[in-house]
Amino acid sequence: MSDKSKNPLLRAFASPAGRAFLALLLVLLLGVIFNGDSAFFKIGTHRDALRQASVYGILACGMTLVIISGGIDLAVGSLLALTAVCCAKMAIHWNWSGWLTVPACLLVGALCGSVSGFITARLRIQPFIATLSMMVLARGLAKYVSGGMKVSTAIMNPDGTYRYVDVPHFFRLVDSRILGGNLSVVTLIFAACVALAWLLMAKHRWGSYLYAIGGNEEASRLSGVPVVAAKMMAYVFSGIFAAVAGICQAAQEQQGDPEAGAGYELMAIAMVVIGGTSLMGGRGGIGLTLLGVLTIGYLDKILSINAVPEAGRLMLTGIIIVVAVLTQRRKRT
Amino acid sequence: MIPKISRVLTLILIATAAIILTGCNKSNEAAPASAPQQKQFVIGMSQCNLGEPWRVHMNADIAAAAAKHPELNVIFKDAQNDTLQQRAQVEEFVSSKVDLIIISPKEAQPLTEPVADAVQAGIPVIVLDRRLLGTNYTCFIGADNKKIGYAAGKWIVNALGGHGNVVELMGLQTSTPGQDRHSGFMAAIAGTDIKVIFSADMQWLEPNARQEMESALSRFDSIDLVYAHNDDGAHGAYLAAKAAGRDKQMKFVGIDALPQEGVAYVQQGILDATFQYPTGGAQAIDTALKILHGEAVPQEITLNTRLFTKDTVTQGGQELP
Repeated sequence: MSDKSKNPLLRAFASPAGRAFLALLLVLLLGVIFNGDSAFFKIGTHRDALRQASVYGILACGMTLVIISGGIDLAVGSLLALTAVCCAKMAIHWNWSGWLTVPACLLVGALCGSVSGFITARLRIQPFIATLSMMVLARGLAKYVSGGMKVSTAIMNPDGTYRYVDVPHFFRLVDSRILGGNLSVVTLIFAACVALAWLLMAKHRWGSYLYAIGGNEEASRLSGVPVVAAKMMAYVFSGIFAAVAGICQAAQEQQGDPEAGAGYELMAIAMVVIGGTSLMGGRGGIGLTLLGVLTIGYLDKILSINAVPEAGRLMLTGIIIVVAVLTQRRKRT
Repeated sequence: MIPKISRVLTLILIATAAIILTGCNKSNEAAPASAPQQKQFVIGMSQCNLGEPWRVHMNADIAAAAAKHPELNVIFKDAQNDTLQQRAQVEEFVSSKVDLIIISPKEAQPLTEPVADAVQAGIPVIVLDRRLLGTNYTCFIGADNKKIGYAAGKWIVNALGGHGNVVELMGLQTSTPGQDRHSGFMAAIAGTDIKVIFSADMQWLEPNARQEMESALSRFDSIDLVYAHNDDGAHGAYLAAKAAGRDKQMKFVGIDALPQEGVAYVQQGILDATFQYPTGGAQAIDTALKILHGEAVPQEITLNTRLFTKDTVTQGGQELP
């Protein structure tokens, strides 16, 4: 083991974090080569790439918790839509303040997450099925709450005409920029989510429970880990992170779209896996997910500034995900 | 313990399903009960998918137009984007002997024959928005995306004085509306000095449009106009330009003009123009009444688009030929 490589640099790149970092570097190198008339060297491009990746990244934070516990959460995209619709309904139509809207939305996310968690952990239904049903249910709820329409600043009067209201103040706040316009607030929210997930996983006992459960559920149960509670908490946090993402989505679109977030769960899973967190559970971490988010986020941006046609984009993204995951493959020891 | 809980849950589920189902039945039965003595007509309406706001709007248009005629009773069905389900709905309408069928089909090939069978059984069928193969239906009502793209292109040529840099945010390019809104536009700007400097497929989605627009903004310093294939796309582009402080330097043009989306954006000064893609709901009911009263109708009705700009939005837009 130890005599494999004496070179510290090579050793660093052999670790999961090193390999995920290498994948990110390769994508950035692509950006330097295909820089879209030097658009890649503008600071605004990077700010926008990070802004665009933030909503996916927030979902990926919750996904990391769940995947490390050996589960999967397919419901996050639909939960995003549900909370976006609820958020727009409360903030725009009912004129609630941000102080009321945000906690209410987080509660919606936590409730839905706890239902998925209960079905998975307590009733022992496979997480794939449990969260698949939550995904369908939440999409239905989003359509029900919104009445199938986008919840926007045009509000229908009882007589069928429309009146227009202002975009809520906290929507503008979430969608603004700081540091002289060089950092989006949503990116800051994403960073806060990463920090929170890191605290939970690395600094709290509960984090080690998740790793233990993902590694070997039966053994952790026998050694006294509160398996059901720990697993439920993972889904609850995934729901809360999805709600945060939903609020960011609503604020950026200035509306609640019941169709939002379709396919986002797969993007979030891809980001987690590219980082090097194992889908089998028990191995990985939030730092790796951050690298995965940046890799896919930048890849997306580079394809966009070069105006690569859709077909090419999909093919390239598919290929690069496979390559990135291949570099992550552990050698059997 | 665990099986017990799941048994309780199953019970609850069945109970909820039963309540929902009986609730639906009641609302279906309530409609004919309120009928006056006049001769009643039952119209079956099969919508391919109520997931899109535009289709929700189409159903609302049909319901609003039908509400003015108490002798009409419209039964709405949603095929949830499932072709075979829609086929089954048409067959149900035929076997329950409705007086007329309106269908907004999901796709042509698999629904052509069920519609032909309905016509064969003596039930007139109005086809809305998407076409079927052949001509075995009573009347087709729809708009022409190529024409709308062309109208948008002509308006843009005029608004820019014949030259300028345009960003085109396209709808899904594997869909006919996306292709037609593109080709109509290109035909209209051909021969002018208008250059499409950046074009991207935003798949009708606002977040994608915003991302693509950000890329266009970081690549090009001079953009005169953004042409998006739907209002969502134009709104996303506007938000990107506004965040970059460049929204005043360019115009934004969208398509669809739903009252709570595109028209509202024009009213709020976000978009400079939007072109309506009409649902045809009101025309469908008009045509249905004519058919039911034995009047002749053309087999094909092409709907005109309406242009909404700051000047015309308060008068409900301006009809284009």
